[in-house]
Amino acid sequence: MNQGGNIQTVAPLDPNPIEKRYGVEVSQVQTSSYQYSTGSDAASWTTHRVDNQVVQNGNYSNSNYYHPQPPVPPATGNVQETASSSTSGTVNVGQDYSGYTPYQTPSDPQNYSNSGYTNHYSGYQQQQQQQQPSQSYPQQPAGAYQNTGAPYSSFQNPGSYAGTASYSATYYNPADYQTTGGGYQSTSYSNQTAGGYPSADYSNQTPTTSNQGNYTSNPYQNYTPDAANIHSSAAAATPPVHYQQNYQQWPGYYSQTEVPCAPGTEKLPAASAFSQSFPVTNEMPASSGQPAPSYAQPWRQETDSSQPPSQQPAAAVSASNDAYWMHQTPNQQAYYPVPPQNHYQSPLETKPFYETPIQGHQRATYPQELNSQSSIHQAPLTYRQPTQTTPSVDTQRVSKIQIPTNPRIASNLPSGYTKMDKGRSPAGATQTPAYVSVSMSNPKGHTTAMPEPGTFPKSLCGFVERAFARCKDDKEKASCQASLKKIITEATNDGTINTRDWDTEPLSTVLNTDVTNTEPSSAPISSLQNKSPTRRPKSRWEPLVESKPFVKSAPTFTTGVKFGGWNHQNENNKKSSDSFQKVDAVTGSKPSYYAQDSAKKIFQRPVKRQRFSSGSSTANDNDSSSDSEKDLTPYYSSAMSLASSADEKKRRDSRSKRFEKVQGHSRGNDIPKPKISNFRRGTALRLGQDLDESGSRAVEDMDWDALTVKGTCQEIEKRYLRLTSAPEPSTVRPEDVLEKALLMVQDSPKNYLYKCDQLKSIRQDLTVQRIHNHLTAKVYETHARFALEAGDLTEYNQCLSQLKILYAEGIEGCTLEFAAYSLLYITLHSNNNRELLSSMSRLSKEAKKDEAVRHALSVRAAVTSGNYVMFFRLYKTAPNMNSCLMDLYVEKMRYKAVTFMSRSCRPTIPVSYLAQVLGFAGTSSEGAGEKEIDGMEECSEWLKAHGASLIADSNGDMVLDTKASSTSLFMPEPEDAVAHGDRYLDVNDFFTRT
Amino acid sequence: MAYVSMGEAHRRITEYLNRFCDAVSYQDSSMLCRLLSFSSNSPSLISLADALNVFQDASSLIRQSEKFSEYGEILAHLFRSLQSYRVGNLVEAYLAFDKFANAFVQEFRNWESAWALEALYVVCYEIRILAEKADKELTSNGKSPEKLKAAGSLLMKVFGVLAGKGPKRVGALYVTCQLFKTYFKLGTVNLCRSVIRSIETARIFDFEEFPRRDKVTYMYYTGRLEVFNENFPAADTKLSYALQHCNPRRERNIRMILKYLIPVKLSLGIIPKDELLQKYNLHEYMNVVQALRKGDLRLLRHALQEHEDRFLRSGVYLVLEKLELQVYQRLMKKIYIIQKLSDPARAHQLKLEVIAKALRWLEIDMDLDEVECIMTILIYKNLVKGYLAHKSKVVVLSKQDPFPKLNGKPVSS
Repeated sequence: MNQGGNIQTVAPLDPNPIEKRYGVEVSQVQTSSYQYSTGSDAASWTTHRVDNQVVQNGNYSNSNYYHPQPPVPPATGNVQETASSSTSGTVNVGQDYSGYTPYQTPSDPQNYSNSGYTNHYSGYQQQQQQQQPSQSYPQQPAGAYQNTGAPYSSFQNPGSYAGTASYSATYYNPADYQTTGGGYQSTSYSNQTAGGYPSADYSNQTPTTSNQGNYTSNPYQNYTPDAANIHSSAAAATPPVHYQQNYQQWPGYYSQTEVPCAPGTEKLPAASAFSQSFPVTNEMPASSGQPAPSYAQPWRQETDSSQPPSQQPAAAVSASNDAYWMHQTPNQQAYYPVPPQNHYQSPLETKPFYETPIQGHQRATYPQELNSQSSIHQAPLTYRQPTQTTPSVDTQRVSKIQIPTNPRIASNLPSGYTKMDKGRSPAGATQTPAYVSVSMSNPKGHTTAMPEPGTFPKSLCGFVERAFARCKDDKEKASCQASLKKIITEATNDGTINTRDWDTEPLSTVLNTDVTNTEPSSAPISSLQNKSPTRRPKSRWEPLVESKPFVKSAPTFTTGVKFGGWNHQNENNKKSSDSFQKVDAVTGSKPSYYAQDSAKKIFQRPVKRQRFSSGSSTANDNDSSSDSEKDLTPYYSSAMSLASSADEKKRRDSRSKRFEKVQGHSRGNDIPKPKISNFRRGTALRLGQDLDESGSRAVEDMDWDALTVKGTCQEIEKRYLRLTSAPEPSTVRPEDVLEKALLMVQDSPKNYLYKCDQLKSIRQDLTVQRIHNHLTAKVYETHARFALEAGDLTEYNQCLSQLKILYAEGIEGCTLEFAAYSLLYITLHSNNNRELLSSMSRLSKEAKKDEAVRHALSVRAAVTSGNYVMFFRLYKTAPNMNSCLMDLYVEKMRYKAVTFMSRSCRPTIPVSYLAQVLGFAGTSSEGAGEKEIDGMEECSEWLKAHGASLIADSNGDMVLDTKASSTSLFMPEPEDAVAHGDRYLDVNDFFTRT
Repeated sequence: MAYVSMGEAHRRITEYLNRFCDAVSYQDSSMLCRLLSFSSNSPSLISLADALNVFQDASSLIRQSEKFSEYGEILAHLFRSLQSYRVGNLVEAYLAFDKFANAFVQEFRNWESAWALEALYVVCYEIRILAEKADKELTSNGKSPEKLKAAGSLLMKVFGVLAGKGPKRVGALYVTCQLFKTYFKLGTVNLCRSVIRSIETARIFDFEEFPRRDKVTYMYYTGRLEVFNENFPAADTKLSYALQHCNPRRERNIRMILKYLIPVKLSLGIIPKDELLQKYNLHEYMNVVQALRKGDLRLLRHALQEHEDRFLRSGVYLVLEKLELQVYQRLMKKIYIIQKLSDPARAHQLKLEVIAKALRWLEIDMDLDEVECIMTILIYKNLVKGYLAHKSKVVVLSKQDPFPKLNGKPVSS
């Protein structure tokens, strides 16, 4: 392994440095903490370099890219621009490059890296400040010094970033344990540099072992001081978790792959300990054994207990790395310069290759980037959730670094998860003014996020994730960030951040704020979308994705914020900020760093969401659900992209309400706390659902209430046409019209086919409007009767099954009448003893007293005993439509009777008797002469048709010769039989329909 | 729930775990059975359940030891199920038990020999019982009961594990019987068919080699199925087999078999002794048998009406109803005998008028047409030999054996 090799090589260097780091770095950092702001950039750069050095192959290339681009222009530009005092720092940055190397050589590359990160962050902040002074970062506005100072404060976040640096370090660590140790220390340093901030804690903690522990404590403190920081932290919080996860994973990797690392200095062990110390670490080994994708799921579950988000992200990252490296390697690198490099370095020998490609991409002009983006898009598509998750991160970034960095970022993003970034970035760009404050936090969040996540309570992280997951747009995310900042700062100020139950914290506040922010951005986004060449075909998961490509081009690419500093610097240096293309080209290489970072984040998040349905899952679910909704309702999707904030809000509200109703979860933005208490449970439930998220979720999420049509059609007559699409309200009749239509059909003199057609259309309208009441029952009853009348058993069965449901719901109707029908149907047509028994046993005593039911029961007895006399008597006295059902059995019964008689009776039976007994027309007791003759004729016709031998007796009356008939009887084919089996498909009938 | 100290709880759980592992490693099936049979409500299981409810983190105990963790999945689900069972949350208990059963079956599949068959029986039994209880709970909560259905599919899976060749096949019939019970309860009797086919067509394994109790149960259920199908001779052989082989001291089982065997025998023309009905408390058949003996149609109808619900539920109503023709036959015979006493020369001519009068005495009002119809049917079904002279409204009986006995043959259709 390259890493291993690297590590070993590095290790020797590190051990000393590490120790030194503790002492030296701390001292240095502290002393230079001020410097840090200025020098931080340099440091960051150096870190990159360091990393590169450490990594040697892959890192080098990466570092090279990064270094050249960002260091020179950005550092100087930013520092100079922002603050004179800081300019020195910036200058330093520029110098740092040169100086960095020395740093590395001297002691701890990791420290450098850490510092570098901080620097990056600081740089970002500065850049942001510079770029978005109007936005006014609370801290930054102070001026150049303030910038520096602010950066520092933000740097504290950077400190967390330092943590990120440590990430890199950790990654490196795998390569170089020593370096990792250094990195950790450096992180602690960064914290220290933060100064007033808990940095002390950091430093203290870091030495101990667990970075996380440090982070946790530190982050809180840091956050508390600065609201902005808090926000960033909050925003960062989620990403940090991911980072941590990454860390863990990596550590796991390292531990697994590179046992030799342990031999490293004491610090090295510490680093390993870090990774292990992480709750995730246990899981890590498994994950390490298996590439990212496989990990993700197991991780989530496990992570749920302790650090679900972090683990997931890590898994995601790893997965993403593994999965996407080939395709997206450039992207990733671009996004997360440091971590990816590390990853690449350690796991993949190809890293160098990647780097080169990345470089090429970066260098490549927009078109190429776009292409790369498109390819990336595909990759994101595979990770639907990731993309979603990424947006939040991206948005943060975007908001942070709006202008110059955006293009670069975009370029970066395209390669990796550009869409996400793009989408967010546009939002950020459009919203930049509103977001200004947010942007600050974002950068910090990114930087700080890494370290902070640990410090924050997991529940808070989950909360933040949820909040972001909610966000569909970059706008929303930005606003979400801002509100989150507030919330967290408040919480920290209150000291309730640890005590508050974040799991039940309503997201509504966060979301509401978001909405306001989002409005301005919407228009730009739409324009961007239109322009976007690489539109995502699958917008389901990320509605905004389409806009992302534009975002790339859009100046507002705040997404680059994290890297933005770099980008900005680059831009500033190159002064190509105006022309995005130029910027892109210029920054192309630089963005790669950022891109890598962002990519890491992105990967992490996606993974989290995918696997982490529980904690952040709610948010994810919301996203997915919303997405699915969009899919279901095409107009939604368009609305989503272009939607005014108001619309979105409405939609969101309705959606949340729906969840309240349906699932009892409190995902809704507006959902009150108590409901949210169900959150975990709901999420847990969702875990199970996650499996079929893509498939069934959509249906589950369908808002049936919303989709229920309210008919407006006033036509009474309507032909039935099976729906092939969503019903049009204009063609659906409302209830009162349907009532008239029913009456019309009932009184209609037209044939059954017409009535059936009309009734079916009425039924359809009822169904579409979800009308379940007496009218529905009436319609089905009417239809069932008509069907019986016409002997249409299939239609009758449909109606009867519906009626059973309706009756079971307690809707009144002719229950007994239809119970009788059902009994008759079973007796006469289904011939299923079990069914008959069960339906008989289900009859209540009252039901058995009903005339129709009693009749049906008698018919059953007659049929089972073969008592044809009784049957035909019942046939004549049948109430309701019972005779219609019996009609269908008459033929069989007659045949049976004649067979019986011809076997049993000798020598003859008069046809007149048969006609009377077998219920031929007009043989009723009062029987007028003519009718009797008619019945006779009909009977003899029937007998002849069935092969009976009729003879005339001495009186000239027709009699049945039973002996002859007993062998000659047969059942003739029904006359109206048609080859295709359905006589209603008769052509003439068809023509008479109209 | 008695108070259980943490230490005590720990002790109990560990003891259980030890026993479980010992039972598995020594292949002690009977011990395993005792450890698994929930419904036995054995004091040791109850105390274990209490302990589990006190000592919540039993899974960590399982994980601690390599010995336990080997069966970690099995045990963890089992514990969870037991916990819920003890608390009375039967649905939860079922769900956990279902997982346990799956894990156990998986493990069972890996065991070469069939030593754990008894334990598997216990699992199959418990899952069904638990599912029934869970369904009861669901129904009382207004939810749709579906657990028994789920248990059915699980049992089907178990059947698949056992149905192949090898020593485990002996257990297939037990699972089949559990499936029968499930399906009969669910009313999805048609699902039995595939299982039956698999049992009866597999020639590799002689049916007689199955355990006796399973054979009896199997025959009982398949016999019931034949009753539904009104295939009386087949039902007769199956139910008779069950009756002959079942433990003569298990009166309840005998009674269950007789409940179906008696109607079957009746429709074959074989009338049981009253002592039998008395002995097994089958009073509902008393009047039916009496009616057959006496040709008392009214009595039969009354008996049917009186026990209608019971007969409908057990599914013999239609069978008993068909006895009406035999009662008619008996009545004709009685008339014939009486006529023979008064006027032997014309005894073989039964006037419909006379029959109608006899029926009227039984408070059954029928006109001649209807009587003629009945007689037609009787002749057609060969319950009466002779012919019906329609013109003169007389049934002319054959001089030789005018009322043939069924003698174990069903009434021809």
